[in-house]
Amino acid sequence: MLNAVLAFIYQNLIEAPSYHLYLEAFLALWLFWLIRQRKKAEKKKRLTQEEEQLIINAWQPKPLVDEEVTNMESYDNGGIWGPITGRPGKTVEIDGEKYLNVATHNYLGLLDSQELDDAAEQCIRRYGVGSCGPRGFYGTVDVHIELEEKIARFLNLEETALYSYGFAAVASAIPSYAKAGDIIFADEQVSYPIQRGLAASRSSIIYFKHNSWENLQEELEKQRETDKKNAKKAKTIRRFCVVEGIYTKSGTMCPLKEVTDLCKQYKVRLFVDESISFGVLGRTGRGLTEHLDVDRKDIDFISGSLEHSCASFGGFIVGPSYVVDHQRISGLGYCFSASLPPLLAGSGIKALEIIEQSPEIIQDVQDKCVYMHQTFMNKLTFFRVTSHELSPLKFLSLVGSKVLAYDVIKDLIEQVIIHVKEHHKIALVQPYYLESEHELPLPSIRVSINRLLTYKEIDSIAAAIEDVSNSINLYDSVISNIPTQFEETKADMIKSYEAYLKWKQQNNGITGKEALEQDEVFEPLEIAEDSAPKKIADLHSRN
Amino acid sequence: MIQVGGHGQENPNVHWLGSRGMWFTYLVVMFALHLFLLSIPFLTIPLAWTFTNVIHNTCHFIFLHMLKGAPWEIQDQGAARVLTHWEQIDYGIQYTRTRKFLTIVPIVLFFLASFYTRHDAGHFVPNFVTLMFVLIPKLPQFHRVRLFGINKY
Repeated sequence: MLNAVLAFIYQNLIEAPSYHLYLEAFLALWLFWLIRQRKKAEKKKRLTQEEEQLIINAWQPKPLVDEEVTNMESYDNGGIWGPITGRPGKTVEIDGEKYLNVATHNYLGLLDSQELDDAAEQCIRRYGVGSCGPRGFYGTVDVHIELEEKIARFLNLEETALYSYGFAAVASAIPSYAKAGDIIFADEQVSYPIQRGLAASRSSIIYFKHNSWENLQEELEKQRETDKKNAKKAKTIRRFCVVEGIYTKSGTMCPLKEVTDLCKQYKVRLFVDESISFGVLGRTGRGLTEHLDVDRKDIDFISGSLEHSCASFGGFIVGPSYVVDHQRISGLGYCFSASLPPLLAGSGIKALEIIEQSPEIIQDVQDKCVYMHQTFMNKLTFFRVTSHELSPLKFLSLVGSKVLAYDVIKDLIEQVIIHVKEHHKIALVQPYYLESEHELPLPSIRVSINRLLTYKEIDSIAAAIEDVSNSINLYDSVISNIPTQFEETKADMIKSYEAYLKWKQQNNGITGKEALEQDEVFEPLEIAEDSAPKKIADLHSRN
Repeated sequence: MIQVGGHGQENPNVHWLGSRGMWFTYLVVMFALHLFLLSIPFLTIPLAWTFTNVIHNTCHFIFLHMLKGAPWEIQDQGAARVLTHWEQIDYGIQYTRTRKFLTIVPIVLFFLASFYTRHDAGHFVPNFVTLMFVLIPKLPQFHRVRLFGINKY
């Protein structure tokens, strides 16, 4: 038997052509060599002792806590303010002292509302304090579903995904759609959560000029040209566009209509973050889409937050079902984070009900936004309002910001804030930015609107800032801090200020707005055209 | 059961071919294919071997060297979108056990097919060509290389 097999094999080999035998021999040798190969990862060369020492010496240990973070903490707590007691509603109690609060986000003044407290209390009695798990893992409570449905109905969209933290919502929604190899067009002034989302997506990011849809069109056109050259690659790329309704970092308003049209035209998916504008803009508080009359069906998802106007906590993504449903399995902040505590969902529901039932509070807050804008425009000599008139966040930039050093502006503004705190009992804040921000904005004072502020109180805020600016000789500090290479600007500023003082003497008691308009140098910060005041006299007579 | 994120594996393609019992299953399926071909009446033994080899290599080429990405929603932010399955195995580390197994199998199969076809030139050509199709992309030098830009995107 064995002999027969061997004879068969032998016969076979004899008859085989020689090229075949050589090939088989080569393959067999190669197999033998392959089996003897070690894993590449194991083949690390051992370092000599000197080399090891070199690497050890070169190693610089990083601090356990990032320096950026420690700086921020010292700025927030140690610098100006002490610990806060009680809730930061219309007034805030710091170190036993009460201040008028325009530093925190509470646009509709719902934080002081008893109804929200009651709703939260009911939820605590029913469900306890926490939800004890992520949404997909025993953390879903009926109030979550109710809130999701309510938001979707409120915006007339199909589905909502509720996140437990506003920051996490947009930061995990973006990377759940955009992946490596995709392209995201984003406004250069998008907020930090969006920047985090963009970074986590690993897509290539193309920033376009702030609020410039013309620039966006240029970038889209450029991309279309590249795509034409390499149609095969273009087929595998998904394209997204990310904008904010009202920008958290500047208070400006997005030209959403044009952006939506462009996205449609160039087949780009559009994400809009309405954290600030939700509950403030539009006739009934449905946000920028209502204000500019944009069809919400053209937007792939709208992200928002309950932390700004709704006086609760958490973030949400709302849009068509086939878009939003995807996040329930791939939105990392949704899957791997404990869900929103039911009491906060409960107060979120109540807040939405209040907004739905009483659209007059939306009108009220918008009136006050415009009034505050006009008041700041008229009464502040050394600060320019750079935000949109309907924005609930007002950004006040110091004159000469363009030529001053970053730290100098920051210190000067801090001086103003400290004096306003001490002499006028008003809590102002300078928004803090991390140095790793994409476009680091210049330091400014951020005043956020609260519906409960009276027109008189708004006046008093403006008066306080103006009074402090004069009493600490802000103008002299600005002038003396201008670096030498800007001598010309300095001279121009001095000249225009003298002209302004002269004019003020002649027209005693009238605001300095017109004087400022005489000279462009005195308004070194460009302001958007649409933020110019309209009916000043009208607004003043209302008081 | 292959699960995304199970046991710390973000991409199941990295390890499932090297999981327990996989080699045995692989060989059993191949053997079943061969038995099936042998059971077809008009196929001679040499033809059945050549068909086994060609079918095996074709599947091998399509699933390991042509299709890219992974069939799951994996949480690597699209890193595997540009990689074939072969390139994803063991995070791209060369000469691992799984890689060796997957290289040895087509070669041994080629030996067998050559032997049973009695080194016939007509059978040699399809057997050898398909073998080259599955061996060349496996060489470490061809890791993440797309010859002539084929299958690049």
